[in-house]
Amino acid sequence: MIEEPYRWVEAIANRREYIEGQLAPGSPIAALGYREGILFLTLGQMRQKIFEIYDRIAMGAIGHPGDIERLRMAAIELASTEGFTRSATDVSLRRLVHYSLSPVMKSAFEQVYGPPYLARMLFAEVGERPEEDLFLRVDYDGEIATNGATYARARQDFAVLSGTRQSTELMEAFLKTRHAPDASFETAFNCALDAWSIGHMTLQTSEAKELPEPAAVAKYRQEQLSIAGIEAALLERDASRAIRYRSLSDTELRSLIHD
Amino acid sequence: MERSPVAFDQNSSGVASDFPTLLRRKGLLSPVTEPARLAVAPYQLAPGQQKPWQPTEATTILAFKFSGGVLVAGDRRATAGNTVVYDRADKVLEIDRHSIMAIAGVPATAWEMARVLEHSFQFFRRTQLQEMSVDGKVRALSKLLRDNFGFVMQGVGVVVPIFATYDSHPKPEARLYFYDAMGAQFEATDYAATGLGSPAVRGILYYENTWGPKALQQLSEDEAVSIALRALDTAAESDTSTGGVDRSGKIYPLIKIVSREGIRTLPESKIAAVFKETVAAPASPR
Repeated sequence: MIEEPYRWVEAIANRREYIEGQLAPGSPIAALGYREGILFLTLGQMRQKIFEIYDRIAMGAIGHPGDIERLRMAAIELASTEGFTRSATDVSLRRLVHYSLSPVMKSAFEQVYGPPYLARMLFAEVGERPEEDLFLRVDYDGEIATNGATYARARQDFAVLSGTRQSTELMEAFLKTRHAPDASFETAFNCALDAWSIGHMTLQTSEAKELPEPAAVAKYRQEQLSIAGIEAALLERDASRAIRYRSLSDTELRSLIHD
Repeated sequence: MERSPVAFDQNSSGVASDFPTLLRRKGLLSPVTEPARLAVAPYQLAPGQQKPWQPTEATTILAFKFSGGVLVAGDRRATAGNTVVYDRADKVLEIDRHSIMAIAGVPATAWEMARVLEHSFQFFRRTQLQEMSVDGKVRALSKLLRDNFGFVMQGVGVVVPIFATYDSHPKPEARLYFYDAMGAQFEATDYAATGLGSPAVRGILYYENTWGPKALQQLSEDEAVSIALRALDTAAESDTSTGGVDRSGKIYPLIKIVSREGIRTLPESKIAAVFKETVAAPASPR
């Protein structure tokens, strides 16, 4: 296959198509930076999808549970050994993702005789101020998307993860107009619920180019809330404690839902 | 190829729930040395030579249960032989939100041990998605002490800690443990003390608990602080390695309280007030 570059490209394309197909039904995850921290939110029924990685870092993932587990464990091991040998402030999400996770995922993806990582992950690191929050999305091929400002667009105070590109884009389009970084927890929470609903309802419909009507979103959200549980976690900005991660229970969140 | 400490370990099985093992695999923690395999035989003594005296546990740490949880107190002096090297040493260390490890022994090893322990508990919670049980935590410290025993036999690195924590399951209660240098763990019902000044402290706590006006477990917070300060002052009276209370330098012992709500460090002003009122004042008629 080495001597035949065309077949390698073809193999990669097949592999990409296969993985995209596997990831497509994944329930979206929204991460929103707000005044007091970062909120991770998804709705689901079965597996836990939001995890603590280190003092200021959390992760949400979709994909094969086995692969998510290997990557999660690797991320925790890397962060923990770095935090132990140097200090907790030296643990950086940027380094973790750019220097360790991304290269490994890329080579696993491109070595066509070995198995790729069937996972897509969303990481966030809470900063002292909202402008310092970092969001990174890492794909199965090692591709990284950040919230950082580029010449083409402004810096975003949120990030999303979804099964399809189109669902991801619609969620981002919604949050771009609706989410403000100085939002209160309650506002951010309801905004994240709406974003999730939009992401989830556009997973199946392949031709949705426009955002759904607010009434349709509200109806869909209500339906889903009655059959699925809310999974959410916070990275708190409050610097008085070293460990910022806190998971939130479904019951404590239900009362905050606005209709 | 040289492996950097932050290289991605592709052989990670995903089951390495033991943080010290992970550190050793990466070469970040000294390997376990069995006493029998040491290059230097323990205490190589010439025939007839006395075992050299080693000031290895020079400090005083005490802990006892009182009505508001467990009080853990330690003096602040660090010594090397007969020299005082530091008078603001922190020997009462917070390991997590409900656990304290207080140390007597070689500071380098003790602080490293506390660091490993702190990271171990967090590593366990993050990887296994559940909090480590109190028994698991107590055992983890025991294992670290056991792993360190090779160094103890070489005459370096002896650590004799106290571990205080609050157990919410199954029966909510404060729990207190003390250890020996080999890692044996003992649960204390009322009090524990370690370090060179501990015989005096143990005497005081035994006396107070048995014949004092109140048993230790019934003391209020102020009364508990008062007993702790008196005990440390007594230990410092005869043990040069215990700092006690430095009245001129205003350096007070470190006192922390573990309760259901977590760990609270008593402010110096509070300790100073109790000290002035009940310890420094000449004994008034009771």
